[in-house]
Amino acid sequence: MLYVVLFFLIFSLYLYVVLGGADYGAGIVELFSSEENQKITKKTIYRVMGPVWEANHIWIIILIVILWIAFPVYYNIMVVSLHIPLTIILLGVTLRGVAFVFRHYDAIIDNSQKLYDNMFKISSLITPIFLGMVFGALISGEIRLVDDISSLTFYEAFVQPWFNVFSILVGLFFAALCAFLSSVLLIGESKEGNENIYIRKSAIATIIVFVVGLLTFGYGYIVKNVFVQEFMKNPITIISIVLSAFLLFPLWKTIKKGNTVWSRFFAGLQVFLILSAVLISHYPDIIITQTGSVSLIENIAPDSVINVLGISLIIGGTVILPGLFHLLKSFKMIKILER
Amino acid sequence: MENLDAARLQMAFTLIFHIVFACIGMVMPFFMVVSHYKWLKTRDQVYLTLTKSWQKGVAIFFVTGAVSGTALSFELGLLWPEFMKHAGPIIGMPFSLEGAAFFVEAIALGFYLYGWGKLPERFHWITGIIIGLSGVASGILVVAANGWMNAPTGFEYVDGKFLNIDPVQAMLNPAWFTQALHMTLAAFTATGFAVAGVHAYQVYRKRKVELHKKAFKIAITFGAIAAILQPISGDISAKDIAERQPVKLAAMEAHYDTKKGAPLYIGGIVDTEKQVVKYKIAIPRMLSFLAFSDFEAEVKGLNDFPEDEWPNVAMVHYAFQIMVGIGTLLLFAGILYFISLKKKKWFASHKYWLLFVLLAPMGFIALEAGWIVTEVGRQPWIIHKIMKTKDAVTPMPGIVFSFYTYIVVYFTLSFAVTWLMLRQIKVLNNSNH
Repeated sequence: MLYVVLFFLIFSLYLYVVLGGADYGAGIVELFSSEENQKITKKTIYRVMGPVWEANHIWIIILIVILWIAFPVYYNIMVVSLHIPLTIILLGVTLRGVAFVFRHYDAIIDNSQKLYDNMFKISSLITPIFLGMVFGALISGEIRLVDDISSLTFYEAFVQPWFNVFSILVGLFFAALCAFLSSVLLIGESKEGNENIYIRKSAIATIIVFVVGLLTFGYGYIVKNVFVQEFMKNPITIISIVLSAFLLFPLWKTIKKGNTVWSRFFAGLQVFLILSAVLISHYPDIIITQTGSVSLIENIAPDSVINVLGISLIIGGTVILPGLFHLLKSFKMIKILER
Repeated sequence: MENLDAARLQMAFTLIFHIVFACIGMVMPFFMVVSHYKWLKTRDQVYLTLTKSWQKGVAIFFVTGAVSGTALSFELGLLWPEFMKHAGPIIGMPFSLEGAAFFVEAIALGFYLYGWGKLPERFHWITGIIIGLSGVASGILVVAANGWMNAPTGFEYVDGKFLNIDPVQAMLNPAWFTQALHMTLAAFTATGFAVAGVHAYQVYRKRKVELHKKAFKIAITFGAIAAILQPISGDISAKDIAERQPVKLAAMEAHYDTKKGAPLYIGGIVDTEKQVVKYKIAIPRMLSFLAFSDFEAEVKGLNDFPEDEWPNVAMVHYAFQIMVGIGTLLLFAGILYFISLKKKKWFASHKYWLLFVLLAPMGFIALEAGWIVTEVGRQPWIIHKIMKTKDAVTPMPGIVFSFYTYIVVYFTLSFAVTWLMLRQIKVLNNSNH
């Protein structure tokens, strides 16, 4: 049953990174667009994300709930050491969600739209940066595990774990990845003549992902980050990353041909490979602290809990996944019919 | 401010807001599908306009409820890491099922909001029903998790360790049913009266009278039925608490000394120094009867328990009085509505509509008061008789700053949501139907 739970944990993580990531990315793309393009992007985002954006963000709740039920020790380290960035993420998620609904459901369209737009765009950028920082913090080796946390200064216990160059770089990397996913997605969704906006955006995003990724690893290598060192030694991770880079060629080809189904598939696959490489390289020690690593597998809840959780997840999954699939499918099909 | 106090205030504050958003998001879909059903049956344009207007309300409240709920799922861990470390696995089951129910709700909402004219009519309407049902299921599951804090079961507590965990038994703890029933009815009462009140005000101001009367009737029917049923559920809850949490019951009634044939105090001012309630109305033997169905039964007083296990007596007592007082008021208002269906001329009266305008916020005040009774009444425990709240709080200092941030954000949010609703009504009043 543990593997069922792990499957759902990793499955939710992947879906959150790809679907939620594309969702955040939409706001980032809008933020870095000219005023005229912003209007186009806003409309496109609404059309694409409208029916599914709530569902995209429930994955993070599933993720958190699985963590606290099945991996309480792991969860405990996160919520204590990373209290501050997690709070910022929460505020970001709140403001972003609210702004999205406000700007599309306000009965009167007036100047307040500007406020909603800004709220949406800025929180779309900040939230994924901090999400990435949290993930970076977990593998940065800056978290301190001590029996008595009051023996540490405030900075050592609650700031340094996430406010360090490596974590910040990971944060920027994740935000760039979101922008990349979203621009590829938007190419296929834009009305005729607008594709070029997003093709240009995807090119820029690709370059940023590449540069920030290189910086992250370069920096990690120089400061002898445990995670980066292990990453470099592991052949599977190296293959995944190289493969992900090579996928850029078919990606560009499909984009040029206007084959949106395949271009999305390749972009998603690239992100999947990057994330897999990261997870595999240090599995199952997903938290790396100053003094050593914390294994995800060795600190689990009792069997009875895992079993019940596994069954709940299977039941939940059989109800939700077909529904979600149907939701995605019906609105896509409708779009094709509309054309 | 102490870290513990700041954490408790932040938790209380976010819950107080979340409950309002969540209740409306949970109950309003039912009003919406009734109106939708009437549109499908009668093809009266007014019902279509109303359905579409309510659906926007549902969307806005669903999202504010969802994001404030996401915030809470994080806050549980951020503010109470020790609690979650031990309790998380035990009460994980209702939370994971709630996650699933919530997901179903989000999917159904996606279909409903974007399905107009695209989905088959019947299927479209059914997705509306699913929104409502999964919302209620979510509510019940979350309350079941809270019930466990009041009636912790499904584990053995040996030397500070939680052993032999049985998540199913933990979810089906002795408090889950009474609490879930009471809360579901409360949500319907509060939302029913609140929405009815908003439309009553429009009728009172003579704007789009036909439409707002129809809206009023749908909302108040739900609210009135729930308000009439609520005392039965209240009685079950009281008997349950008398059995399981005698300290809480004693605090609710500010009942200091153990007594056979204990009187029921209505209102009054609690003097915690002298341990008396001044200016109250006392009904002889009534408390014994309500708690144990026996006029002569012994009701334990606070002094039978160590003082460091008492909650804030005055606060719990006042909150309880407010809840019961308003509950009674809404019960009569509910009955009045059903009488008014026979006496049509009441509908022409200005005072009739004004009455329901004034009652609009009452259900929510009672609901919040009820949660203060439950939560403050459980103190000093976070898990009844197992873990104290002060032992569960985060070691991170300076929670007070996060508390202030939340105050600003949530007040802004509520202000924004209210303002958006006013704009919805304004547009609704200017529409053609």
